[in-house]
Amino acid sequence: MTVGGRIELPSREHQQDRKTIPGLLVEQVSKIYFRRRYWLGRASEMEALRDISFSVLPGETLGLLGPNGAGKTTLLKIISTLLYPTAGRVEFFGRSVYENTAWARKMTGLITCDERSFYARLTGRQNLGFFACLFGLPKKTSNQRISELLETLGLTESADRPYQSYSSGMRQKMAIARGLLREPRIALYDEPTRSLDPLSARNIRSWIQNNRYRWPEQVRILATNQLVEAEMLCDRILVLNRGLVIAHGTVRQIRERWDKRDYAIHRISCCNLQPGRVVAAPERGLISVDHEPSEQDCSLLKMCTRKSSDGLSFGLSAILDSGASVLRCQTDEAPFDEVFCSLLMSEAGDRP
Amino acid sequence: MRLAWAFFKRDALTAISYRISFAVQLLGNFLILGLIYFIGKTLGSGPLPALEPYGGNFLAFLLIGIALTDCTGVSLLTFAREIREGQLTGTLEATLLSPVRLPAILICTSLWSYFFSAIRFVLYLGIGAVLYGVNLQHANVPAAAILFILTILCFMGIGILWAAIVMVVKRGDTIITTLGYTVLLLGGVLFPSAVLPSWLQKLAALVPLKHALDGMRLALLVGTPFSELNGIMLKLGIFTAVLLPAGFVAFHIAVQMAKQNGSLTEF
Repeated sequence: MTVGGRIELPSREHQQDRKTIPGLLVEQVSKIYFRRRYWLGRASEMEALRDISFSVLPGETLGLLGPNGAGKTTLLKIISTLLYPTAGRVEFFGRSVYENTAWARKMTGLITCDERSFYARLTGRQNLGFFACLFGLPKKTSNQRISELLETLGLTESADRPYQSYSSGMRQKMAIARGLLREPRIALYDEPTRSLDPLSARNIRSWIQNNRYRWPEQVRILATNQLVEAEMLCDRILVLNRGLVIAHGTVRQIRERWDKRDYAIHRISCCNLQPGRVVAAPERGLISVDHEPSEQDCSLLKMCTRKSSDGLSFGLSAILDSGASVLRCQTDEAPFDEVFCSLLMSEAGDRP
Repeated sequence: MRLAWAFFKRDALTAISYRISFAVQLLGNFLILGLIYFIGKTLGSGPLPALEPYGGNFLAFLLIGIALTDCTGVSLLTFAREIREGQLTGTLEATLLSPVRLPAILICTSLWSYFFSAIRFVLYLGIGAVLYGVNLQHANVPAAAILFILTILCFMGIGILWAAIVMVVKRGDTIITTLGYTVLLLGGVLFPSAVLPSWLQKLAALVPLKHALDGMRLALLVGTPFSELNGIMLKLGIFTAVLLPAGFVAFHIAVQMAKQNGSLTEF
């Protein structure tokens, strides 16, 4: 059902408690590509996804993280009905996507990183106008929506230039604009900042972040291999590798579980600390202490402690016993890319 | 209607944006008219016995043959070309993400080509009548219009069937070229199919273009009444009733196959 270009849920769904129904449910989805035999070649099959299950609540953003070829795009294409799974099912708000294809397509906005999927000779505005019509937006709504999106994405100036004259970043923005023309209930972002320069990427990220407030009920899936993006934009993360889910949870949960370092780094700001009063004591778990002189009477201590020890307590006690005061103590978290790599490597090691 | 206009506008803007190509295409139409004229002149304007059922004038016979074949050629090629371009440019997936039904998308993608082709058809006949002296005074225009629509619908079915094949095999230029020559031979575009050996005439009866051309020539050049064109119309109607749904079903299956094996954007 479309009201002024916005997709509304069928009344049946309105009567149910929305919180009990996930906006998106993916259950035991598998995809195997069968390749036919050409001439003397051999038929082959390639498993792209195996038994993927997850759900996303309205208003939630799920990150699909994984290296190239992990199956992220395949999964998004299955959700958006561009591909059929070999097994499993996909539901939007409790309704099967494959039994209600036209309805499901009205609900979905797929934002691809494919720069070629526009008509090169038409202008940006003409392209968006065409797709708006294809998506069934009323003319008045579509004109208004196109102008809004062009403005938000900084494309107004170039809107009447042929698409073929656009830079990679502008093309990427056009793909985002097209995906969001309908204000979809299910927004699927496939590497939305892949071809962008750092500034444009930052703008797009903050724009996606703002959409959480603009469309609080929207279900968002963000496929990316940029960890900073996932960390910044996603409530939960699903890590895929070679078609399998190898981790699932919040960034913090994944970091805690997969941080393989056996040490932690703490930065402690303190005042009136006499040099040489706090020294390393490896037998107590305080592996090293580095003094970094700071302004006036304050100094910064960088302490490395063994995780399973009371090295931090020992170090802090030593500071306080020396008559110094602790202003701030901050523990460095393992960089997420380090966690991600250790996750992938350990998963590769587990595989036969 | 808005959807049809959106596709029409998209294709018109794209075609016109290639200015030189568009101009050459327009010029090409006049070159074909010149070709028809000189072939007709070489063979003379006198009545030819083989063409007697159609009024005997070779120039008129050829003009209608080429004009209608041009329209059927559009039907044959336009759908497959759109699919192929969509695969190459990546717009096919974007289009299939819309809630619009496949048959509607297919028909809308062909509107500009049909519009342009209909203009060419009228242009050929108009110039033929005004400059070449082709006599269309007795033409049964309503019958010709019905035959024209039936021909377009019938060939639309073949074109969509062909597009389904292209969706699967990706490249089929050689197949369509061979098919085109076969249709030219059996359909009676350049000569009446009555001059073919009897076994080839039996094969020709299976080619919808032969019936379309027969009917169109009889309606336009001789002014044959509806009562005598019923048989041809029925045959074209049967071809249409079989080929058009077959085309849509085949295309639907081809899209399902592509979605199954992930080859929607392969080329």
